[in-house]
Amino acid sequence: MAKITDKHVAGHKINIRHFTIQRCLQYFLLALVCPLLVLITTVARAKVYIDITSPAFTRFPIAIHDFSGSSGDRIADIIRNDLHFSGLFEIVDKAAFLEKPAQPFNPRNWTPLGIDAVVKGSVKSDAELIITASLFDVVDGKELFRKEYKADKDLLRPLAHSVSNDIYSTLTGAPGMFRSKIAFVGIDAQGRSIYIMDWDGYRRIKTGLKGHIILAPRWSKEGTKIVYSAEKNRRWGIYLLDFTNMVEKKIYSGPGTHIVGDFFPGGTTIVLSSSKTGTPDLYSMDIQDASFTKLSSSHGIEVSPAVSPDGKFIAFVSDKGGSPQIYIMRSDGSQAKRITFEGSYNTSPSWSPKGDKIVFSGRRGTNQIFTINPDGTDLMQLTHNGNNEDPSFSPDGLHIAFCSDRDGSRGVYIMRADGEAQQRITPPDIQASSPRWSPN
Amino acid sequence: MKRILLLVLILGFAVICFGCSKKKVVKPEDAAIPSEQMEQQTTAPARDTDQNSRWIRPKEHVSEQDLALIQPEEGISKYKEEKVIFDDIYFDYDQYDIGADAESTIQDMASWLLKNMSSNVIIEGHCDDRGTNEYNLALGDRRAKAVRDYLTALGIAANRIETLSYGEEQPVCTEASEACWAKNRRAHFIMVR
Repeated sequence: MAKITDKHVAGHKINIRHFTIQRCLQYFLLALVCPLLVLITTVARAKVYIDITSPAFTRFPIAIHDFSGSSGDRIADIIRNDLHFSGLFEIVDKAAFLEKPAQPFNPRNWTPLGIDAVVKGSVKSDAELIITASLFDVVDGKELFRKEYKADKDLLRPLAHSVSNDIYSTLTGAPGMFRSKIAFVGIDAQGRSIYIMDWDGYRRIKTGLKGHIILAPRWSKEGTKIVYSAEKNRRWGIYLLDFTNMVEKKIYSGPGTHIVGDFFPGGTTIVLSSSKTGTPDLYSMDIQDASFTKLSSSHGIEVSPAVSPDGKFIAFVSDKGGSPQIYIMRSDGSQAKRITFEGSYNTSPSWSPKGDKIVFSGRRGTNQIFTINPDGTDLMQLTHNGNNEDPSFSPDGLHIAFCSDRDGSRGVYIMRADGEAQQRITPPDIQASSPRWSPN
Repeated sequence: MKRILLLVLILGFAVICFGCSKKKVVKPEDAAIPSEQMEQQTTAPARDTDQNSRWIRPKEHVSEQDLALIQPEEGISKYKEEKVIFDDIYFDYDQYDIGADAESTIQDMASWLLKNMSSNVIIEGHCDDRGTNEYNLALGDRRAKAVRDYLTALGIAANRIETLSYGEEQPVCTEASEACWAKNRRAHFIMVR
């Protein structure tokens, strides 16, 4: 800014100063606004198809054609089911389609049906399975992606789920969870074992992990290990299954009851409830040397610890207030705060992947699934029939797995995080409990 | 001032129009790359693509055959059970206090243990199934501990008493009735050598 000396005539001086200041301001504004405009237009270029954070939206109409080639209809069905379950898509009935699978994509075949995106593809089955999939934008009339997928022949479902993941992430900007798994404890005629299945209940495998009693299989946050509690020969122990070497290892066993809670991020430390020194208290334990650190203790019961996704907090159950309620404390055991105040029995807390919600089982006559914010606000009841227990979130935080006896025998159910679309995914001949969704 | 503002507005409008007419086109080659990044977020250890990233090969977390073949550690029971049997004692709903009716059973047990110094006791704690499995496991444990505390108060050494909870996992009956639930809320005793 030009420096104006007192020697100038008063009026003239003021005019000159204002003029100079004005000029500077104008250039300054220009310098601010232009890059801002460029920024806005750059961002505006990426088209937003589905905003999953928006509270009110209409379902995105998508058409998934049967893939050409053998099992092409099976693949398309898996993709349709995946996208339908997410709750974000309206899957248009293929009976309404004008274009055949083999015909090249033409937006004019789709706009009259009010469809915004189309999925088409083909399958080839030689020594391996090869799937080619394309996603088309009807409005802009162009191909959003064409990808090719290869796998062993018995991996048709994971391949189809990979296609679903890519469709989902292209249209929402967020990763899909369609290749995630659920671990649970199942009881059949032969006894109790840990099972692992795809999130939709398919490809269920009974692992060799058995015990007289088994509880609480818990995935590490990286998804490479499972830790669980098992009673064998009148002793409770903590056991670890590491997927990288497929070996079951006993980490700890001793007098008292030891109930696994959760992993800390990093996969080498767990938090658990153990009555090794008398009452069920909370401990953190290094799984490599089985060294314990006591985190909390009370005259009564402290159980079911769950570590927040960032590792900074632990949600747990304590009856120190006179009845089982949910508390949150820091990971070092300090600053425990009660968060449930309704109902006289609230247990089994589990965190959402973003750490913004806790899902739990509360008894209101029968056991029901609830969600609540970590600060204790926004309590929501999601189930109403039968006994519903052991809830956990999917890796994208949009779905919840739990077990329920509403149909007579206990089974694993999944639902959207708002309580919609509740469905059973284990058969009636397995008594299933303790389901846990994998972290990826 | 007005002229500058007008200029800025026109400039801005032109940039917006220019920007909107150019949509981001995702070609197949660069489509592979964002997908890889996504996969890395969702399936950390499982991403696996062939050399030129043209083929996406989803890698399984764990293979089915591997999982089914895992051999669990079995271990052997270290206990030999005695023939003497004591009655189960019962608890109120959600409670772990020792009731008056239970006291005589515990006292009989204490007397027996004092006479049979080479034997120990395992106290099993059980619950009815109306709560959740994990909490019931802890509740059963707390019930067992209540009996243990009573026994130590009667002079039995702590290292002769083991507690073990089965929660709601080993019911003696399965009907949804008050009578059955009451039978399951129990501590059970096994004398061992």
